[in-house]
Amino acid sequence: MIIAGIDIGNATTETAVARVTNQENPEFLSSGIYNTSGIKGTRQNIHGIFASLKLALEKAHLTVEDVDLIRINEAAPVIGDVAMETITETIITESTMIGHNPSTPGGLGIGVGVTVEIRDIHSVEKGASIIVIIPREVDFEESSHIINVAVKNGIFINGAIVQRDDGVLINNRLDKKIPIVDEVSLIEKVPLNMRAAIEVAAPGSVVEELSNPYGIATVFDLTSDETKLVVPISRALIGNRSAVIIKTPAGDVKERKIPAGKIVIQGATKKAEINVDDGAEKIMEAIRSVAPVEDIKGEPGTNAGGMLEKVRQVMSNLTEQLPATIKIQDLLAVDTFVPQVVKGGMAEEFSMENAVGIAAMVKADRLQMNMIAEELERELGVKVEVGGVEANMAVHGALTTPGSNKPLAIIDMGAGSTDAAIINRAGEIKSIHLAGAGNMVTMLIGSELGFEDMSLAEDIKKYPLAKVESLFHIRHEDGTVQFFDKPLDPQIFARVVILTPNRMVPIPGNFSLERIKTVRREAKTKVFVVNAIRSLERVSPTGNCRDIEFVTLVGGSALDFEIPQLVTHALSQYSIVAGRANIRGVEGPRNAVATGLVLAYGEGE
Amino acid sequence: MAINEQMLKSIIEDVLREMTGATPTAPSAPSASKAAAASGVKLTAIGDAKQGTASDEVIIALAPAFAESQTETITGIPHDKVLKELIAGIEEEGMKARVIKIYRTSDVAFCGHDAAQLSGSGIAIGIQSKGTCLIHQKDLFPLSNLELFSQAPLIDLETYRAIGKNAAKYAKGESPNPVPVKNDQMARPKYQAFAALLHIKETQHVVPGQKPVEQRVDFI
Repeated sequence: MIIAGIDIGNATTETAVARVTNQENPEFLSSGIYNTSGIKGTRQNIHGIFASLKLALEKAHLTVEDVDLIRINEAAPVIGDVAMETITETIITESTMIGHNPSTPGGLGIGVGVTVEIRDIHSVEKGASIIVIIPREVDFEESSHIINVAVKNGIFINGAIVQRDDGVLINNRLDKKIPIVDEVSLIEKVPLNMRAAIEVAAPGSVVEELSNPYGIATVFDLTSDETKLVVPISRALIGNRSAVIIKTPAGDVKERKIPAGKIVIQGATKKAEINVDDGAEKIMEAIRSVAPVEDIKGEPGTNAGGMLEKVRQVMSNLTEQLPATIKIQDLLAVDTFVPQVVKGGMAEEFSMENAVGIAAMVKADRLQMNMIAEELERELGVKVEVGGVEANMAVHGALTTPGSNKPLAIIDMGAGSTDAAIINRAGEIKSIHLAGAGNMVTMLIGSELGFEDMSLAEDIKKYPLAKVESLFHIRHEDGTVQFFDKPLDPQIFARVVILTPNRMVPIPGNFSLERIKTVRREAKTKVFVVNAIRSLERVSPTGNCRDIEFVTLVGGSALDFEIPQLVTHALSQYSIVAGRANIRGVEGPRNAVATGLVLAYGEGE
Repeated sequence: MAINEQMLKSIIEDVLREMTGATPTAPSAPSASKAAAASGVKLTAIGDAKQGTASDEVIIALAPAFAESQTETITGIPHDKVLKELIAGIEEEGMKARVIKIYRTSDVAFCGHDAAQLSGSGIAIGIQSKGTCLIHQKDLFPLSNLELFSQAPLIDLETYRAIGKNAAKYAKGESPNPVPVKNDQMARPKYQAFAALLHIKETQHVVPGQKPVEQRVDFI
């Protein structure tokens, strides 16, 4: 008889078709893969199932009529929704500092003086030390002329704050060089007649005086109490090439925590409450302490509450159950950074604020899959049954990898959830589903780089990068150079590109290749490495992942060009042999569950 | 339609007036008038433009009539200001601008491409008298480009500064965000006839086969 095993995943629906003559040894004929239609575990999946099945049958020269039995997976986790909460913000009150990084400031060194508008310079007394403020209306020729004349007349001009991008231009025209900070867009907010200090560092280096509290104290003659107050200012300036500090009576820079709300984790025996703004580490600790989790709730009326309720709401709409009966089974929190405009800043400065990314997972019930099975049976006229638990099926499939044997653990890294299962010598299987997988990586990459376009973040996640150095050659992220006979598209000239199979996609913005690469690898590590260890700890018979010897990686994310390496590397520190599965010796890490569904029938499950 | 006809008439009158006004001065002192220029800038020919070797230079290639027989763009921005902003943009990025004049063509793409071949960095800006300009790179096909600003009526001085900056950034091997290109459907019907006339006027100054000429630029 012909059996088709169909696995509905969050991203893809995979099919394995086999002829079973004797129960022991099914003969696999073909496999198919198609994008999942709708959200996993809902009626919309049927279109994807059809397409995937048809692909597989066509390859084996069969029709639907030839199929005797279809087995679909009992899709356990459904929604792996992701959300992001910013938990800190930087606020500058009363314009005390400009710490932005114009790409081309002018001059070099440090200068101190009283702020004066350049057009009022004639009212300045001889011998005074000043910092000139140059608004948009005064162009570089005029302003450099005014400065040169004023300096000749005995006024000490020790620095300039410029609204337009004129720093280098003015500097090139000055007789006496001064530090110049330009591109200060809201220059009208700079207070006049206040003591100010400007520092510009040489190309390739960063400000040293103004990023040091004692440096600021030296410049402004501060007392020890006052020095204590400038610490947040100096901290905010670390890493900038240019900086301005203006001493106003009440000015201040604060890093403030935004109350994001509490989440309540209800375990089987224990209960934990944790603030989202405590960060990911504390949240994960709380979850570990109350495991196994029964439900997770957010404090009503807060961001955290809204986020978790949204997941619950979506899920209840899908399953037509009351929101109150939907239980959130797992949650993965990850610390990340989000670029945010500094409140009260004068140069549209950005600061990287702390944020927490959260993936939540809800367990579906069997009814849904039965409904899909019934509908499928009605439309195809073929017997359809719901097979075993997804992770168990994946273990069966993974065991077809050459060189694998019981006991074996698998980690199924998909788009919406990370599942792990372990099979012991006796054939008993223990499995777990955890929130957070490929989709969360995409979200982390997107938010950290500030991209609205999630498809771009998805491409960054999936494919390696390169820098187009000339129209005839690119440099890959590992440093190797590749040449081309024909000139490349001028659109990608001098850009960092994503090497998708079809074309090179330019990345907008001025990110260096190294930065994007770091963000990408960190996002993958934060989600997959953390989840791999977390899931193995939970399925390990001793609760310690060191007691697992062999692990195979399956699922779509195991196809990624670096996730398996990252996980393998991390697990090797626990002396675990981990590697990518090769289902039936031909499929790679894909098709594990579908294959398992067919095999499980053979074994009479 | 009536407006169009009226406008066309006035344009033709304008052009005729200018041409009759310009012709007596131009041929009478051809070599001297080369230096006669737009109010704020003086261009002095200093021999054939040579192949550049410094990788910190960006060439600005002017079409034949730029700052000579024509002195302002299609919307009346004086050429000296345009040139000043382009140079300032390049200078702000720490690069050097070299100005040359192209005589063999009035096509902005070929002006830019010819100059990119001569540029030490391989990057050049080509600009026509009416204001149309582009950023070119030496390895590109002539009709390709890095950035094109085809709607001259929509380019203001700030955009010229940004174009200079971006060209310099390409030369430094950075990856700048392209200068935002404004687009206005009405620019075409409103200016097309005028643009065509200005281009014809520029093309009259084309000298087939003449090599690009290096220019010394003095702002007055």
